[in-house]
Amino acid sequence: MLRYIAWRITVMVPTLLMISALVFTIIELPPGDYFESYVAELQAQGENVDLKAIEALKVQYGFDKPPVERYFHWVWGMLHGDFGYSFEYELPVTDVVGDRLWLTMLVSFVTIIFTWLVAFPIGIYSATHQYSWGDYGLTFVGLLGLATPNFLLALVFLYLANLWFGTSIGHLMDAQYFNEPMSWAKAKSIMEHLIIPVIIIGTAGTAGMIRRIRANLLDELQKQYVITARAKGLHPFKALMKYPLRMSMNFFISDIGSILPAIISGAEITAIVLSLETTGPLLIRALQAQDMYLAGSFLMFLAGLSVIGVLISDFALALLDPRIRLQGAHTK
Amino acid sequence: MKMTSPLPPPGKEMGHYVSEAPFDVMSIEKISPEQEKIYLAPQWKLMWWKFRQHRIAVWCGVFLAILYATIFISEFLAPYNIQTRNVDHIYSPPQQVHLFHEGEFVGPFVYRQQYKLNMETLKREYTKDTSKVDKIRFFCTGDTYHWWGLVEMETHLFCPANGGELFLLGTDRLGRDMFSRIMGGARISLTIGLLGVMVSFVLGIVIGGMAGYYGGWVDMVVQRMIEVLQSLPSIPLWLALAAIMPVTWSPLVVYFGITVILGLLDWTGLARAVRSKLFSLREEDYVMAAQLMGAKPSRIISLHLVPGFMSHLIATATIAIPTMILGETALSFLGLGLRPPITSWGVLLIEAQNINVVALYPWLMLPVVPVVLVILAFNFLGDGLRDAADPYK
Amino acid sequence: MMRCLRLALLTMLLVLGVQTNAFAMTFEETPYFSDLVKAGKIDPVARRVPQQPRIIDLAKIGREPGVHGGKLRMLMGSKKDVRMMVYYGYSRLVGYDLNYKLQPDILASYEVEDGRIFTLHLRPGHRWSDGAPLTAEDFRFAFEDVMLNKKLARGGLPNSMLVNGKGPKFTVIDELTVRYEWDAPNPQFLPALAAPLPLYLTYPSTYMKQFHADFIGKQAAEALAKERKYKHWRAMFIRLGRQNRPENPDLPTLEPWFNTIAPPSEQFVFKRNPYFHRVDSNGRQLPYIDTVEMNISSPNLIPAKTGAGESDLQGRYVSFEDYTFLKQSEKRQGYNVLLWKSAVGSKVAIRPNLNFKDDAWRAVMQDARFRQALSLGIDRHEINMVTFFGLGKEVADSPLMQSPLFDEEYASAWASHDPVLANRLLDQVGLTKRDDDGTRLLPDGRRAELIIETAGESTVETDVLQLITDHWQALGLKVFTRATQRDIFRSRLKAGNTMMSVWSGLDNAIPQPSMSPEELAPSNDSQTQWPQWGLYGMTDGKSGTEPDLASARRLLSMWQEWQQSRDDETRERIWNDMLKLYTSEVFSIGTVNSTLQPIVVSKKLHNVPKEEVYSFQPGSYFGVFMVDTFWFQDGLGSD
Repeated sequence: MLRYIAWRITVMVPTLLMISALVFTIIELPPGDYFESYVAELQAQGENVDLKAIEALKVQYGFDKPPVERYFHWVWGMLHGDFGYSFEYELPVTDVVGDRLWLTMLVSFVTIIFTWLVAFPIGIYSATHQYSWGDYGLTFVGLLGLATPNFLLALVFLYLANLWFGTSIGHLMDAQYFNEPMSWAKAKSIMEHLIIPVIIIGTAGTAGMIRRIRANLLDELQKQYVITARAKGLHPFKALMKYPLRMSMNFFISDIGSILPAIISGAEITAIVLSLETTGPLLIRALQAQDMYLAGSFLMFLAGLSVIGVLISDFALALLDPRIRLQGAHTK
Repeated sequence: MKMTSPLPPPGKEMGHYVSEAPFDVMSIEKISPEQEKIYLAPQWKLMWWKFRQHRIAVWCGVFLAILYATIFISEFLAPYNIQTRNVDHIYSPPQQVHLFHEGEFVGPFVYRQQYKLNMETLKREYTKDTSKVDKIRFFCTGDTYHWWGLVEMETHLFCPANGGELFLLGTDRLGRDMFSRIMGGARISLTIGLLGVMVSFVLGIVIGGMAGYYGGWVDMVVQRMIEVLQSLPSIPLWLALAAIMPVTWSPLVVYFGITVILGLLDWTGLARAVRSKLFSLREEDYVMAAQLMGAKPSRIISLHLVPGFMSHLIATATIAIPTMILGETALSFLGLGLRPPITSWGVLLIEAQNINVVALYPWLMLPVVPVVLVILAFNFLGDGLRDAADPYK
Repeated sequence: MMRCLRLALLTMLLVLGVQTNAFAMTFEETPYFSDLVKAGKIDPVARRVPQQPRIIDLAKIGREPGVHGGKLRMLMGSKKDVRMMVYYGYSRLVGYDLNYKLQPDILASYEVEDGRIFTLHLRPGHRWSDGAPLTAEDFRFAFEDVMLNKKLARGGLPNSMLVNGKGPKFTVIDELTVRYEWDAPNPQFLPALAAPLPLYLTYPSTYMKQFHADFIGKQAAEALAKERKYKHWRAMFIRLGRQNRPENPDLPTLEPWFNTIAPPSEQFVFKRNPYFHRVDSNGRQLPYIDTVEMNISSPNLIPAKTGAGESDLQGRYVSFEDYTFLKQSEKRQGYNVLLWKSAVGSKVAIRPNLNFKDDAWRAVMQDARFRQALSLGIDRHEINMVTFFGLGKEVADSPLMQSPLFDEEYASAWASHDPVLANRLLDQVGLTKRDDDGTRLLPDGRRAELIIETAGESTVETDVLQLITDHWQALGLKVFTRATQRDIFRSRLKAGNTMMSVWSGLDNAIPQPSMSPEELAPSNDSQTQWPQWGLYGMTDGKSGTEPDLASARRLLSMWQEWQQSRDDETRERIWNDMLKLYTSEVFSIGTVNSTLQPIVVSKKLHNVPKEEVYSFQPGSYFGVFMVDTFWFQDGLGSD
């Protein structure tokens, strides 16, 4: 087992390197670079473009060097904790991402909790009352959130919330609290504004979770020990909760791999429409503008989290399920 | 029969006796003809019977089948072409179909609309003129279209009365009929999912199969590949890939490019499922038996292993299709992928993505209804298929 | 004794007289500063304004004098929009008045000799927003230590300061007077000072010197740069000193409001400048409004937010399509929706790329008859009715009626709907052969399929293109539209890969003869009809290619002629010649102009003109209309 852990950790390194190369290529791939769009934008505003100054900027950031050299420079910097410089914001990447990170995590955590709160009861009910109208009905409701395109839903909710409740449109808080320190009023405003994004993003995730809880629970409920427990007189609720439910939580573990990065940057489209101050829109904008370091470093950060998450979930799974032989093809 | 024959001398063979009495295979355990049907039924029949129990899934399957069938005749089913403009009926709301006019049964018809421009708000206002009855014609001649780009035809299932208009779901800002546009958009939206899933299907089975069966370093490489692809958030990847598609490609080529992109990024989930299933099934005795009998790995994978969870794969695939459809709308939102003048549900929804539509012309958001219905249908169908394919119930 | 008393009285009066303002105006203290003044932290208003402030007589221009107070809320779509405050504030050395004629603003006065010698006079006692005096030293510092500094200004002097490639001779006459002198006339100089994005002749030297290597030593400068996380002191200097984008809260300014929040932020708050040089005729120092709050949001949400009453003055990010929605929410939310005219030469204009890589197409597009035919093939009336409710003008890409250079001849050049003549012209060009479905064929046999590219940002463009596709179908030309993204759109154009593109028409559609006609000539590589020729004109022939067409060359030389003109009559003549040539050659195919731009104004905000022309060049959006004179009822904002 220990050998396996050491092996996986060593393998993580080339994986991350591969990812970094992929990320770099992806960002560099579209034609042009940030400076071209910068020049174009200045010209669109009627500013006199000092071409020589732009050239100087390019040299300053190493853009006159070949891509391979720039790649190594970037990776080297990241290993030292220097995530680079955002051209668009003209600030170090860490400063740009900084504030948005905790708001993103707030939104994600509340959404996850909301998803669990909704999916659990529905999933359990579905499993225990399979093929009933209740089963169909609740699954339908759960699926609705998944099926509707988020961006349209977002706009409609925003409009209605403003019409009926007077909630200010978009963002995570009222305009007056933007630069204010935290206070009860600010927290209340954030809570009020969280409702719409959490509902929209959350309902999209409930469908999958309902399905999985339902499927896993159904599997468990067939097993012998459940019948034995009921035969021995265990209360039906306890027979459900104490053993089968815990056994079917397996999938949570395998989900860690994808949840971790999603907490840091998820639901980009909803965030763009709702104008939320989260990292999703930041990433999208950086990619569109080809803001190399901001986009690249952030993607690497997410990728790193994902790899670590997969590692954790694989370990946990291996611990729990000995069926998954890890030593390769079975030879006989 | 008596056992009286003596043992043979040492070194000689034993006597061999076969009874010639008639033997009825079913004499031990009698089964009725109905039971025979069940026990001897092939796998797909078993699946079908199981599937039928899930009634909603069946209805969804029927619904989808009808929908896909209409793709072939979408121009015929719609009263107008998707690009037909009517500049006198811009932003007109949906017209209600009536059967009775002033107490008399007249047949399906709509009242003609009167147009007035409100000069203060610059809003186009339409009022029903209850004196003019526009009867809906059936199997009539309307806009010309090219059926599959080949045959020029003019017949439509139903069209507006001569001199009148028929806007069942209203019109957009160029006066184009929404019902016709939604019908026309179905063609692209429904097929883009299928093609994308086919791409990811092939990739997932091949790559996942190899990893699951061979294990070892093949598995390790594939696992790392999957990790790499899954660790990058999908939307940025789509963004990057779509940005490099040359602008001069014709819309059709762009469309195929988008399906390939959507499929390329989705195979990892399938591959992982295949791989883990193969890991467990690999240890089964029948695999060992096949190996002992000298079967090649490819034969073992394709003939013995894959059918074991083909049903599961199909079920997964039907649930992947909605992701593709939603992915297409997401790409349109980001300004990539399909753009006007191509018509798909995603494009229609993007054009409805502004406050004016939400507040003033909400009928332009109706394309969301078929999107939701199709996605729900695929989900229920997939649920049903998966339940049916599961051999443990 | 009496004589002593009288002498003392006289001296006292003299002393007092020197200290009070020359105009002996009584000033009313701004309530915003009254506490600070009482505490002695800041001078009273009489000493804050220059000794000769600029007095704005509001009654004379048909507006009401106002009261101090209030917070103006605005919505913007990107954090870069802090630069909007420079446009809206519109405090310039020399600016445009309401008739777009040049007038001194920050300057007390100026003289021009022979069109080449400019003497500028400052207002005595005029101070920067941090209290440091505005003197000739600021001009000298800007010219000698910044503009001529090879390390800070790598491209050399900006074009508006070069005549025949040479810069001016700069002299400091005295503490309040400076002079710029060229060998030949420089008509670009004053318009550059009055532009929305102006030529900056002055820097707040007291503040900026602490970041300049020549004044604190190179080592100290580099150390300071490192401390502030810049790579070099040059980057630090440029970033901190960027006056056109007020991101640095510490940077002193001459604008009516200065920024108090550094990016990144979702909200920028601008506070009033205590030393602003304008006052109204009642002795109130401008601006009336205390603070401006700029909230950054997704552009697509802004119409919705405006409709919810979250903005007091909104012209950006709301368009004509939003009018009905905004108008309907008017009563509920307490604002008015005004309709101004959008000042571009044409709301949607199509420009064939005369530098397109494909030889056959290039030859066809360079033939004027082809472009004229395309223009004649468009049914502008249908476009007007469908997209603009018939409220626009169906014209070529040309100046609006509000400009003195407007002429019916330019506006109607090739702008009628005449498919018959258009078809004939296309035949004359040589596109006589047709395919089976009626599509014309190029001389080399290929189908005449036009690919028009757009930056994909506006549904109006898509709609108009949809209509035009049908119009040109009748001419035997098949049209394909490709929507891309702005960055890709531009890079494809520059590389010569775009056949035709869509954008808006002339940027400055209300030009005066004193303004530069550069848009009509190949002067810039971002001009979508001739990027390579534009590059040639921009770099004086050093890069790009010389125009093939004689007409383009003629426009280029006329523009150069304007750059050497001495008086307004010559300039007017040149303008008319250029407009005539430009519109008859149809380098840009216009459709409809004078379209309407909704402006949302809070009901409590006064002095916003009811009907005006909304333009970037030269109106600086709201700038020319003096945002500093807008005031809130009772000095209270909307919240």
